Amino acid sequence: MDTEMKDLEKIAPELSKLKNENPFRVPEGYFDDFAARLQSKIEAEQVVVPSKKSTIIRYLKPAIGLAAGFALIFSLAYWPLKSLTPKQVAKNNTIEMDINDMLFASAVEAIDVNSFYELLEKPANAEQLSDDDVAAYVKNNVSEYEIYSATNGN
Amino acid sequence: MENDDHGLLELLKHDHTKGQAFQTLVKTYQERLYWHIRKIVLNHDDADDVLQNTFMKVWRNLDKFREESSLYTWLYRIATNESITFVNSVKKRSLIPMNDTTEFLLQNMISDEFFEGDEIQVRLQEAILKLPEKQRIVFNMKYFDDMKYEDMSEILETSVGALKASFHHAVKKIEDHLKNRD
Repeated sequence: MDTEMKDLEKIAPELSKLKNENPFRVPEGYFDDFAARLQSKIEAEQVVVPSKKSTIIRYLKPAIGLAAGFALIFSLAYWPLKSLTPKQVAKNNTIEMDINDMLFASAVEAIDVNSFYELLEKPANAEQLSDDDVAAYVKNNVSEYEIYSATNGN
Repeated sequence: MENDDHGLLELLKHDHTKGQAFQTLVKTYQERLYWHIRKIVLNHDDADDVLQNTFMKVWRNLDKFREESSLYTWLYRIATNESITFVNSVKKRSLIPMNDTTEFLLQNMISDEFFEGDEIQVRLQEAILKLPEKQRIVFNMKYFDDMKYEDMSEILETSVGALKASFHHAVKKIEDHLKNRD
């Protein structure tokens, strides 16, 4: 016995009055069947040993879930926000001109102001087209198939 | 004991003798480890759970045991750590202040049908519960099990001097608690 235990009476008289007996009990036969119970638990655990693959997936699952969450948030937040950036707003507000508009615009630009007014003041029927002119135009510019399609389409 | 452990460790290394040797190990140490755990967690059912967890951990880690310490020391160390983990989990689960945790563990012990202590034993356990974790374990190992400081030093990985100081402080605090009973 160590000196500390022998000297207990001197340093702690109240404590040394107590018998250091064990106040705890166990159920009857507890230690007799503990090893068998433990063995069953070990065997049960060995049956349900997870495969390496499923273990890897189990570890990766939170990371995959997190990545998917970020992707969703990104797609929901990024595109609406992107359309509000100054560059994008400017781009959206630009009038897009197709090639026909551009040709028309350049043709109008090419006409000088006097010719333009002259054109506006000129009566619409100033130059009457004869039936022969129309027939000649149609013959040269429109195919039979287009005429057939146009008449049957209506 | 050391020689017996040496033979047991040899048997634990081979697959065809491992199972039987482990059964021997459990039967040899179950009672000592149980009482060590019980004095920390206090309730029988909790002690049973912690003892099972301790041996499960031993079984899973047999290959990692490097024999740098004795088998006895290694087992006690695992049992101590498992017991501390259990008490900390109770504290975390209940989300209650330290004093209330002491009260919770005390009531858990009193309501246990396998506690047969009288009023003064309850008071002693109450005083022990109020000690810091390390002092509490040192006091139990010395006062109830009369374990040598050298063995405790290996298990708790603490110097003999520090253990003696811990026991001395623990005794003083318990004495004060017992004196101020009113």
